[in-house]
Parts: sequence; C-alpha cells; structure tokens
Amino acid sequence: MITKLLTVSNKLGIHARPAGMIVDITGQAKSDVSIVFEGSKANAKSILNVMMLAIPAGSEVKFEIDGEDEELVVQQLEKLFDDHFNEEPC
Amino acid sequence: MTTSTKNPADFVAKSANEPKSQRIELVGVPSSPGFAMGTVFPVANREFSVVDETLPESRLATEEQMFLKAISKTSKEIAQIKEISESRAGIKDSLIFATHLMILQDPGLVNGVLDKIRKKHKNAKWAVHVVFSAYIEKFEKIDSPAMRDKAADLRDLYNRLMSAMDDSGPVLEDVSHEDGVILVAHEFVPSFLMTLKPGQVNAIVMDTGGRTSHVAILSRALQIPAVSGLRNVAALVKSGDTIIVDGADGTVIINPNEDDIRKFHERQEMFERQRRELFTMRQLEPMTRDGKYIVLHANIEIPTEADKVTDFGATGIGLYRSEFLFFRKGAPTEKEQQSAYRHILEKMAPHPVVIRTLDAGGDKLVSGVSAVNESNPFMGWRSIRVCLDREDVFITQLRALLLANTKGNLRILLPMISSMTELRRAKACIAKARKQLEDEGHKLPVVKIGSMIEVPAAVMIVDKLAKEVDFFSLGTNDLIQFTLAVDRTNELITDMFQPHHPAVLSMIYQTVVAAHREGIPVAVCGEMCTDPMSVLLLVGLGVDELSMTPWSVMTTKKIIRSINFEDVRDAALTVLQMDDAESVNEFLHKKYAQTIMELGISGFVGQVEK
Repeated sequence: MITKLLTVSNKLGIHARPAGMIVDITGQAKSDVSIVFEGSKANAKSILNVMMLAIPAGSEVKFEIDGEDEELVVQQLEKLFDDHFNEEPC
Repeated sequence: MTTSTKNPADFVAKSANEPKSQRIELVGVPSSPGFAMGTVFPVANREFSVVDETLPESRLATEEQMFLKAISKTSKEIAQIKEISESRAGIKDSLIFATHLMILQDPGLVNGVLDKIRKKHKNAKWAVHVVFSAYIEKFEKIDSPAMRDKAADLRDLYNRLMSAMDDSGPVLEDVSHEDGVILVAHEFVPSFLMTLKPGQVNAIVMDTGGRTSHVAILSRALQIPAVSGLRNVAALVKSGDTIIVDGADGTVIINPNEDDIRKFHERQEMFERQRRELFTMRQLEPMTRDGKYIVLHANIEIPTEADKVTDFGATGIGLYRSEFLFFRKGAPTEKEQQSAYRHILEKMAPHPVVIRTLDAGGDKLVSGVSAVNESNPFMGWRSIRVCLDREDVFITQLRALLLANTKGNLRILLPMISSMTELRRAKACIAKARKQLEDEGHKLPVVKIGSMIEVPAAVMIVDKLAKEVDFFSLGTNDLIQFTLAVDRTNELITDMFQPHHPAVLSMIYQTVVAAHREGIPVAVCGEMCTDPMSVLLLVGLGVDELSMTPWSVMTTKKIIRSINFEDVRDAALTVLQMDDAESVNEFLHKKYAQTIMELGISGFVGQVEK
C-alpha cells in the first residue's frame, strides 16, 4: 500500500469538476483508493464521497492506494494535483 | 368524442349502500368535447409515491433489474443532453452533465440502492428514495455553498430515475374497465396520453392547462372528452368516486346526485341527436350564402386519423403535426417516417396534405432530440431552431417526406419562422434533401412550401416572407401567446389568452393582406377555428382556409353555410377599429349569438360565450 500526501493548489478547491477528475483516475484503477481529509476517510472511487469532503484550496489530503497498479495511480494523481486540475492556481 | 357510460342504476345502487360522498361541482376549461360518466382513476405524477414494504425473495430480481434499467436509461438521456449541450454551450458549461453521469456510476450510491433491495428486501423506488434522501441531506449540511448546490443536482437525478422507473412500471395496465375510467391528474404529459389504449379511458380531467395545450389538442384527436384548468380536482377526488365530465362546457361533477345523472343522460341524448344531424351535411359544400367558398381542412396528430377525415367532410389535411411520431424512445428512422407520411398522403390523395416539420420543444418533450431543462421552453430551443441545429434529424425527415410524396399532394410547412435567414436556411435544407434523392435516382414531384406565421416578428416582415413561400399558415395558439405575452399553459392567466384582442386581429389581417398581394393563400390552423365567433371573424378578415379537429369541420361548415360573406366582412372591418377584446366580444355576441344558438350545435361548441 502507498500513502501519498498531496496539496490542493487550485483556487476553488475540490469542487465537482476536480472531484470528477479524481474519480476518472481512481474509478479505472484496479487498486482500492481512499481519500482522507481532516480525519474523514472516504472511498475515492465515489464522486459523491469525494465531493462531500468539500476540500478547500490549500488543504492537504492523504490518499491510500492498495493494489497492483498503485504506482501508476499515484503518478496520475500527483500529476493531476501538480497541474492544479487544469484550473487557476491559488 | 366518446359518449359512454355505465348503467346509471349501478351508480345509484352503489351510493345507497355506501356512506354518501359529498357532491362537488367544478367548472374548468372545456378542452375536448363529449360527455362521459365513470369512476375516477387518479394518476399520480410529479410527486412520486414510494411504499415501504418488505418483498418476498422472488421479486427482488425484478426490482434490481428495474433499478439498473432506470440507471442506464437515465445515463443515456444525460449523455444525449451532454452532447447537445457541448455543441451549443461548449465543453466547459457542459461539465455538470459529466458529473451527473459519474454520480449515476457512483459505487456508493449504486451499491447502496442494490443493498437495500437485496439485503433489506425493499422495492426499487423505496431504495432509491431512501439512498438519495440520505445523500441530499448530507449535501445540504455541507459548509460550502458550491457543494450545497449539488443537492439540487441530486434531486434532478432522483426525479429522472423515479420517472424512468415509472415508465417501466405498470401505469394503466391493470385498467381494462369495460367502459373505461375517467383519469384525474394534476397534470398530464402528451406522451402519457399516447400510451392509452383505445376505449380504455372515458375522459380526462386535470388541474392545469387550457384549451390550447398540447394535451387538449391531443385529447381532441383521440376523441377523449377533456376538461382542464380545474386547479384542484386531483386533490378533491379519490379512486372509485363517480364523476361526470362535460367536455363541451367544462363542467365536472364529483359524486353526482340522481338529478345530475338524469340531466347527464338528457344532454348525452341531445349530443347524439346533434351528432347524427351534423353527419347528414358532411357532403355539402362549405360555402357562405352569398357563394364564398371556404376551404375546410382537418388537423390530425396520428397517421391513422387520416382514414376518417373525409367522413367528417374535410377536403384535405391542413396540419399534420409530425412531432407526435417522435413521442417515443429515440427518433423514428427515415423508413418509419416515410411509411407514416405515405399512409396519410395516399389516403388523402388527390386532396392536399400539409405536413409540418418537427416542432419539438415547448411542452412537447421529444426524447432524444430535446430534453434540456429550459426556464422558458416556449421561447427556447424548439421547433425550426432544433431542426436547423440538428440538420441530421431535419434532413432525415425531409427525405422521408419527399420520398412519401408519390401522389404529389404534399405541402411542407415550416414552423416558428421568425426571420428570413431561418426561412432561407430551411428551404436550403429542403433543396439539399431533394438533391440527395435525385442523385440517388428518385424522381420527385414539385412540393409547395409554406411558413407558419406564429411569431410576431414574422408578421412584421410578412410582406417579405410572402414573396418566398407558397402559402401561409397562421398558428393562432402561439401567435396569441407571443403577441400577448401570455403563457398558454399557465392556469392563472387563462383569462388573458384573448383570441379577439385587437393586437391579434390586426396581426391576422396584416398577414392576409400581404399574402393576397402576392397571390398566396392563408390558412388558420389554430384552435381559433373551433370557436364559432372566431370562425366568423377569420372568414370576415379574408382567411382562405380553416383547419381544425375533424369533428369541428361539420359544425364549422354549418356555421359557414348560415352566413353571408359580405356581412361578416363588414363585421370584421368594424371590429378592426375597436380597441379592446371586450368590445369585440360584445359586438359579436350581440350580432351573432342568436344565429349560432339556433344552429343546433351546442353539444359541440358549448354555450356561446358572452
């Protein structure tokens, strides 16, 4: 299992669109993926769960990825966060 | 125009044994003529009813399937909306639909519902209700306005799923009453009426709507008596109540007494007598006493209606609303359309048939072509606008029309034209379809092309339109609604929908003058043609053709044969000088009410309005 801390660096935080982009990655992964924010842990393959965390800009979130393609998933998530979800950075 | 009833003795006997329910008399908008008595069958809509019940193991698979089907149906719907929205609004503004699609795939949500079905033995609707409610509640509590808004998206999806499951569930399947039942609802949608089997229903009554709503038009086509705009009838009745419906004057009596039932039978007899009498004159010419011939055509909604049109004395089809073909899942293919159009054209030949191209939108929901929630659908993406944007759909329809025209009696009518650009683009599409077919080796007869005049802008440029079309067809329902800015489906302002408003009459007159200057005819295909006073005015204003529901052809003919053209023309010119609808109506009433009442058509047109 890999644990990865990532910082939300777009201005609007994880609203519907970035949540969708996360699920685009996690939903296709063979690994189990969880997202942890302020002590709440949720299934990162569920867009509703990700949205419900209402993660604001500048937050740090933790991903827990467990499965055969965990390396790939981490890379993809990292790139997504680094690109500020293709939105305006904060 | 159905007149059926159960034996009245049944009702009397029944009410004697049971605690007497209160008699309630309501007056709504008469929307489709005919009399009916029967038992109430409430149709729930909008508010979905969910029942918490524990199901036996054997039914769980069906419920699961129902839910999964609803998910896939809703996903398809949204994918289509997304596609349309992307091409019109751009990818960025269409992202919400991508989110919707993802929510429908959400493992937490889908498994949550499936668990409720499989493990808790609940029905699919209840499971969806419980799971969605929980999510909606959570979202509403989130401390971020953007996320709280997502609750609305969930509600939207909830509604879509619920109606998808309603579609797959039994609606009226259990109803096979010998004499039919009377459907009562807050609101009906046209597609629902299309699912009724012949004879299944005696009449329909509803809280919403007016005479010109598409539900009203459709019920006239299906010959089901209807009363709309009753405001609260759905809340007042319960299943099994006896109800009398008078579709000619708009009266509805819930739990009638013996006196009501006796009167009902008297009126029904009179109606039958008038009907027989009207039938005797169906072969007579629709000519005024001083020899002015008025062309009377029929409006039809369903291709097979064409079989009976000439029996009612119509000499052609003035309006076939092709969109009713599209009331189903997915657009009909070129072949399917061609065979529907050909049925009508061949049945009617050599009489002319006006087929209006797809007029989707407004309150007509056409699956696969338009489904976006618009805040103002009547002025939104509808009709010719949809066709010009979705050229694939339009060209398919035009090809089907041209191919079906083997007898050469087709006239194509373009709806909702509001500019020369639209008219020219639509005509270019017709030319393109024709070219395609000719290149494929088909020989095609010449087709007349007409424009609907139903948007005030079209009237303002009517002299220019007249130079580029072969005929005009005045769509008075929309013309009135747009000219007076009165939503014709809003029951709060049905009284403001005034066909005789001077602004409307002046628009009609301008259209006639411009058309006759170019030597082209003007038809009126709106519901105005079924009101006796309006018929007199339209004839007086110089309208050449009137097109209406088949049944009204006979009554209209009787009216026309009783008047002098010179006289109604003078009346129309006098009325054009008046400054409000009240004066116009008072004048017409004073001059013609007596004549019309003596014609013996009251069962069909109701009481002559003051």
